[in-house]
Amino acid sequence: MTTRDIVFVAVGAVTALSALLSVTTKHVVHAALWLLVSLGSLAGAYLVLGQELVGLVQLLVYVGAIVVLVLFALMLTRAPIGPHAEIDTPAWQRVAGAVLGAATTILLASLLLPLFFGARADLDTAESLTPQVAQAIFGTWVWPFELLSVLLLVALIGAFAVSRLVLTREEAPTVRVTTHPSALADATQPAGERP
Amino acid sequence: MSWIVRMVVVLPALAGLLGLLARRQRAVASAVAISVSAYVTVLGLIQWIAPSRSADIDTLGRLPLGDLAVPLHLLSDRVSGLVSFVVALVVLAIQVFTAWYLRDDPRYGQFAATVSLFASGMLLVVQSADLVLMLVGWEIMGWCSWLLIGHDSERPAARRAAYKAFLVTRVADIGMVVGIVALAARAHSTDLFAVLTATGEPALLTIGLVGVAIGVAGKSGLVPFHDWLPDAMEGPTPASALIHAATMVAAGTYVVARLFPLYAGHDGARTLLAVLAAVTMVYAALLAFAQTDLKRLLAYSTLSQIAVMLAALAAAPAPTPTDPRVGPGIAHLIGHAFFKALLFLGAGWLSVLTGATAIAALRGRLRRTGALRWSMGIGLAALAGVPPLIGFFTKDTVIDAALEGTGAGARIVVVALFVTVVLTAAYCTRAWLLLDTPVAATAPAPDDETAIVAEEDVAVVTAADSADDAEVERVHAHGHEPITLPAAFVVSVLAALTVVGTLFLSSLRGAVHVGLVGALLSVLLVAGAALAVWVLSDRGRSDVAERLPVSVRESAVRGFGADTAYAGFARAVTALARLVVVLDRDVVDAYPRATAAVARGAGRVGERSHRAVPSMSLLGLLCGVVLVAVLGVAAWR
Amino acid sequence: MIHLGFPAALVALLAGIGVYGVLARRNAVLVLIGVELILNAANLLLVTAGSRAGAPLSAGPVLTLFVITIAAAEITVALAIILVLFRRSGNIDLTAVPDLSDDEDEPTDTDVQPAMDRAPAREGAP
Repeated sequence: MTTRDIVFVAVGAVTALSALLSVTTKHVVHAALWLLVSLGSLAGAYLVLGQELVGLVQLLVYVGAIVVLVLFALMLTRAPIGPHAEIDTPAWQRVAGAVLGAATTILLASLLLPLFFGARADLDTAESLTPQVAQAIFGTWVWPFELLSVLLLVALIGAFAVSRLVLTREEAPTVRVTTHPSALADATQPAGERP
Repeated sequence: MSWIVRMVVVLPALAGLLGLLARRQRAVASAVAISVSAYVTVLGLIQWIAPSRSADIDTLGRLPLGDLAVPLHLLSDRVSGLVSFVVALVVLAIQVFTAWYLRDDPRYGQFAATVSLFASGMLLVVQSADLVLMLVGWEIMGWCSWLLIGHDSERPAARRAAYKAFLVTRVADIGMVVGIVALAARAHSTDLFAVLTATGEPALLTIGLVGVAIGVAGKSGLVPFHDWLPDAMEGPTPASALIHAATMVAAGTYVVARLFPLYAGHDGARTLLAVLAAVTMVYAALLAFAQTDLKRLLAYSTLSQIAVMLAALAAAPAPTPTDPRVGPGIAHLIGHAFFKALLFLGAGWLSVLTGATAIAALRGRLRRTGALRWSMGIGLAALAGVPPLIGFFTKDTVIDAALEGTGAGARIVVVALFVTVVLTAAYCTRAWLLLDTPVAATAPAPDDETAIVAEEDVAVVTAADSADDAEVERVHAHGHEPITLPAAFVVSVLAALTVVGTLFLSSLRGAVHVGLVGALLSVLLVAGAALAVWVLSDRGRSDVAERLPVSVRESAVRGFGADTAYAGFARAVTALARLVVVLDRDVVDAYPRATAAVARGAGRVGERSHRAVPSMSLLGLLCGVVLVAVLGVAAWR
Repeated sequence: MIHLGFPAALVALLAGIGVYGVLARRNAVLVLIGVELILNAANLLLVTAGSRAGAPLSAGPVLTLFVITIAAAEITVALAIILVLFRRSGNIDLTAVPDLSDDEDEPTDTDVQPAMDRAPAREGAP
């Protein structure tokens, strides 16, 4: 158990704990905020694992952009402030979710732990430092990287187009006014029979 | 020579097609029908008297059917030459007579064309040396008989009779087709000579011969299938003459004669044929005695005489290299063709004169008709077997052949033949006495008496009166058209042929062979029966059939319920078919359809339970993912 | 030196928590948070695997960066869809029976449980 191990366990514990809180809290906004903590500490875990670039990008993109987007979405959908009992699914569904989550954990653990048990990374002579990652991105992986930029552009335009979808429902009330029964009755009634 | 044989078959078919195209122009239609019939008759005469005999006449060429050889050959020998000449002659006579008889019928063109096609079918059967061609001709005749019997298709009785004839012969044709297939499978060929000379496989031979015998029984009206023939009287009289005299019912005899070497060597099929023929000849003669309608009487006599022909073949001794032993049967076929065509055309003539076919209405009407009286007299005498006429020679040849034959079948046939001789003489005498004795001899007011008797008998007649109605309608439509010279001429020619036609048979080996004892016996029987009828009927002043109990007579007129039996059989078959359908649909198909129903039900349940709730979908999706992952990991381990 | 068993265990934990988050929430945005957690578990697994000696082509960190980028694109589109859903039906409750009909009538709320995300304007309507 080296120093890095101890640090990783600490950061990992924070990550797991905050993730758990973010999926169990009754406050809608708190969930997003606990996600912020979880993703931030995960960036710390990346640092401990020796991937400075990944950790920083995690901070920039996830913490800086995605969580902010999530918070915006919550506000735009008029999320209530304060604890709210009805943000969770019915109890049986949550039990099923817990069982499935535990099953996923056990499955992954049983798969991954034997693989990585005893494996060590010598971070002092790491092969994938930032310069190597940069060289790999712009050398070996340059075409996927360029494709990703296209993907981002498509996602931008797609999100814009989706949010501008014409919603016919909002025009319905104006139609309904013209076909109001009383109006119809007035229109069809002969003038001579009116009192 | 071979082109004549081909033309004899092809020309009537072309005439049928041409007549159908020209059916609106009455003169053209009758000219085509009569001239082609005449030409075919001349060709048939040439084929008969020409010295050269040829087989293996190609028609369409060999059918490419692998192992099975189907050469589609025609054949010309003494028998086929004589029979096709006689058929062509009778068809010519009928065409000439029809041109007068159906003078005012708007559908004369179709009728004449159908008669031509019918003749083509019969001539194809006669000329073919191939079982497939034989079957083709056979089926053409079956179809044309439906058309001809149903000619007056606006009358329900005619339609019913046509369907009855078609269905009954069709049921029997199942046997025919099965038999032909069995014979062809045995010989690996449909060629007639290959079939006759093939050896081995007795089971296939039995199936083939019995099947063909059943088919022949259907077309020729042997006992289980006999009842369609009297009902076929619903057709116009020339159609009856055509079907009865030389073509359809005689085709069965001809087919058996062609296959005779096989039948002669197979006792089972031969005995079956002998028993059927013996039963039919006696039974039909008995029924003919009780009939109240002249055409139905002639129809039952046809049944009886066709059975006599088949009995000749069923009882004849085995063929020898010099004598094929088919002479008696073919001879009676030809004699019967002459006198039966004469009788039917005479009956048609008489019905036009009197406007009826019921015997009660015809009583004494023959006396003042001159040539017709002579013709009917000759025809009935030939039917009864009076010595100088052709009927006597052919019938006694049959009796002689049966006496020479051996085996149980021959003995049955001999007894039945003598009984039939008595009965035939009896009903011929009865018919002659009723038609010829003046009614005035029994009652002072003949017309009133006739009317009363007609009324009484109409109550008895039932099935026959519809045919009577048809004749009445036809006569009213005609407005008592006097007979034309050609029509009267053909009747006279047929009468002459009935007298001298025996000369025709001299060309056929074994066709006329009268034993002294048999001839004497049959002449005595004929004379005795005629005398008995004459005495019993008070010298012709009363109907001898009235001495029968009324209930027996009524059911005899109705054919002893054979029609009801057919209807019951058809109903049973239909019910069985429905049962099979129900079984197939509700039992056999239930399993496949049950899976479909279960799948549809499961789909509906799933559709109802799936309400497109996103969280439920997520739950299901993740369940599946975890399950697949667990399975994958477990399998990987 | 670091033992890679700990990051692997964290991967399993994060994935399980993410699955629970997806299934336990009815608010669509909070479901998205669970999805993000699962994605981050995948990222961590990539980084962990990339830290082993002899990992070729720096695939671990590079692919992690790619996944982060894709996640950014994904969450953009997802939030746009959520906003459209909210504008259409007034809530983003995933346990509600959706109105899949194409007609322009008001959605029938008889079998929808009152959701926390219901629009106040409709709740206050007379």
